[in-house]
Amino acid sequence: MLNKLRTSGVLLIFGLVIEALSLCWNTALSFMSFVVIGGLFFASGILLFLYSLVSGGREVREN
Amino acid sequence: MSFNERYPMISPETLVFVLVGASIVLILVVVIRPSITASREGKIIAFLALFILPVVTAGVGASEHMERSEQTQFCLSCHIMEPYGKSLYVDDPAHIPAAHFQNHRIPADQACYTCHTDYAMFGTIQAKWEGLHHVYVYWFGTPMNPIRLYHPYNNRECLHCHAGARSFESATHMAMMDDLKSNKLSCTTSGCHDTIHNVEKLGEAKFWKPLE
Repeated sequence: MLNKLRTSGVLLIFGLVIEALSLCWNTALSFMSFVVIGGLFFASGILLFLYSLVSGGREVREN
Repeated sequence: MSFNERYPMISPETLVFVLVGASIVLILVVVIRPSITASREGKIIAFLALFILPVVTAGVGASEHMERSEQTQFCLSCHIMEPYGKSLYVDDPAHIPAAHFQNHRIPADQACYTCHTDYAMFGTIQAKWEGLHHVYVYWFGTPMNPIRLYHPYNNRECLHCHAGARSFESATHMAMMDDLKSNKLSCTTSGCHDTIHNVEKLGEAKFWKPLE
């Protein structure tokens, strides 16, 4: 679970940095990088975090 | 000193940067010491850092990007749109987009969006969706040459501003109002307001140079 939290955090940091960088320009390319690349990091980071909550609960029950 | 001077409004862009900074700091706490999630407080911090704050930050960022994508500068950032941007400076009042842009009948910084958005429910979302389609075609397909609209131009977009305006109340317009409202007759019909961007003839055009 702790590894999943770490990975999720790293993915979210990448997503946040891409979001901040994309706001430095007002072009279609920066919008697309926010939506596609940033969105991918955000979605995977958040989904991994949510998965870690579910699987973490299961691990505790199994132990 | 007024209230606004003392407490200036924080811009959405600044808010995003503040949220990004706060999120990164909290995430780093969880990444460096994930063992804090053993306690109840740690779990709350992890939930804030890895879910609530990133979702809020992404939402504010998306809203700011949507706002920016309405700007003329944004549309003209694609190379293929350059002639259309140039056509806004044609020195001829018969050129409909140029006359609207130069006389500020539409906001100059949202010129493309004002005329090309769909003034119906979910019009902004549809405009953004078509914008994403433009980008897809630009990078992965073959853009139309010359560019054409996906659908015939809807009179509703013109009437959104012109209907009810005194300058629009001519006998000619009033006589054809029903046909205009139902799109049986286009505002851009030949002989009416038929000179639109006309990018094929930009080489022959004279251009207006705004005084700075």
